[in-house]
Amino acid sequence: MDYTLQNDATLIGLVARAQADALSELFDRYNRLVFSVALAIIGDQATAGEITLDVFTRVWHRAGLYRADQAKVSTWLTIITRHLAIDVLRQQAARPEQHNVSWDEVAPNVLSTVHNPEEIMELSQRRARVRVAVAQLPADQKQVLALAYFKGYTHRQIAEMLDQPLGTVKTRIRLAMQKLRQMLQDEGGPPDKSKNALAAYNIVEEV
Amino acid sequence: MFDDTHVLELLPAYALGSLDEDEARLVADHLIGCLVCRAELGAFQMVADQLALTAPDASPPLDLKRRLVDRIPAVYPRTLAQPQAAWRRLMSRLLPAWGPVSLLLILALAVVNLSLWQRVNRLEVTTGPGGIRAIPLSGTDAAPKASGFIIVSADGHNGALVVDELLPLDPERQYQLWLIRDGQRTSGAVFSTDPDGYGGTQISAPASLFEYSAVGITIELAGGSLRPTGDKVLGGPLFNP
Repeated sequence: MDYTLQNDATLIGLVARAQADALSELFDRYNRLVFSVALAIIGDQATAGEITLDVFTRVWHRAGLYRADQAKVSTWLTIITRHLAIDVLRQQAARPEQHNVSWDEVAPNVLSTVHNPEEIMELSQRRARVRVAVAQLPADQKQVLALAYFKGYTHRQIAEMLDQPLGTVKTRIRLAMQKLRQMLQDEGGPPDKSKNALAAYNIVEEV
Repeated sequence: MFDDTHVLELLPAYALGSLDEDEARLVADHLIGCLVCRAELGAFQMVADQLALTAPDASPPLDLKRRLVDRIPAVYPRTLAQPQAAWRRLMSRLLPAWGPVSLLLILALAVVNLSLWQRVNRLEVTTGPGGIRAIPLSGTDAAPKASGFIIVSADGHNGALVVDELLPLDPERQYQLWLIRDGQRTSGAVFSTDPDGYGGTQISAPASLFEYSAVGITIELAGGSLRPTGDKVLGGPLFNP
């Protein structure tokens, strides 16, 4: 079987049946994305590498729990990555780049171009849409959103860190998310199928 | 502010996991019975899930794939490219990491049975052959009859949880195990119990279990929470208290 021709969901199904080559192909497609997300959160190359290994190890163990109707494979992987990385982050006494989280709005595509071009293209387009949308947010909203998403801070922690009123932080996060929702919907509809948040959490924790 | 009926204005932050504990609990409780807010949360969760795609580009270490290949057979020696017996496939579906987990659960059952037989009610760590440890958990006022054990492998890198007399929850909720270190709580497992109140699961921890000082089990929304929000039902000291 030529695994490079299989779509992501099929690969996950093959991984669930202990096909190591399918995991290898999945790794080739998404290890850069997973590593990039882990590094953005954790700020340390070695730890980000370990988290990447943990993500794919978990996929190997529990691919059978993946539900294609709840999230794309790429979304599933990044959700797992974020949870693992923030867990690690919360255990660390010092957090890197506490105030210097920035959105990389012009980064080159991190995805491989040699595997399954249709899915790579689709993910690349989603990536571009999100980047454009985030770029349109006011700087103060981008800042609090990055601290919440990439560092796992709560409203209160962000308010203390930035020396801003709690209500101001709450408002900025709410406005940012509402604007992103609107912009992403305007840009060709929902970019993913993971509309059920509870289902998404299920995926993460079961994996 | 949100209105008296819904928690709509808290949902964007809930989707990000950035609410403080009291607000997260409020939202979680509300979501159980509110289809409107669940639908709204789904839309914001979709946005939150896409934010990962804005991570700056980074090149992983070149040896990462080799390390993955090295790691997987050692962690979970699945039979590659060989037909599995039906019962084994079924077990794989029921409990994908069933090999090491079943061993731990068998040990856990032995420990629990031995413990019951001896009617030992005081807290203590039992060390079995090969250095496997069994640490008892105590029920709280919310679940006074509940009991459990944390089973930890000799090297601290694997663990399992077994609980008994922990009432089964409605489908909207599950129990969640929290590993505690330096006041920080890390999710170790999400699980349910059977109609008899019995349950077990493998523990997933980013660090050696020896590094945690205590554990707690709370009631959370199905699938688990980013941090404890529900009633604590079981808990106890682990290592390095």
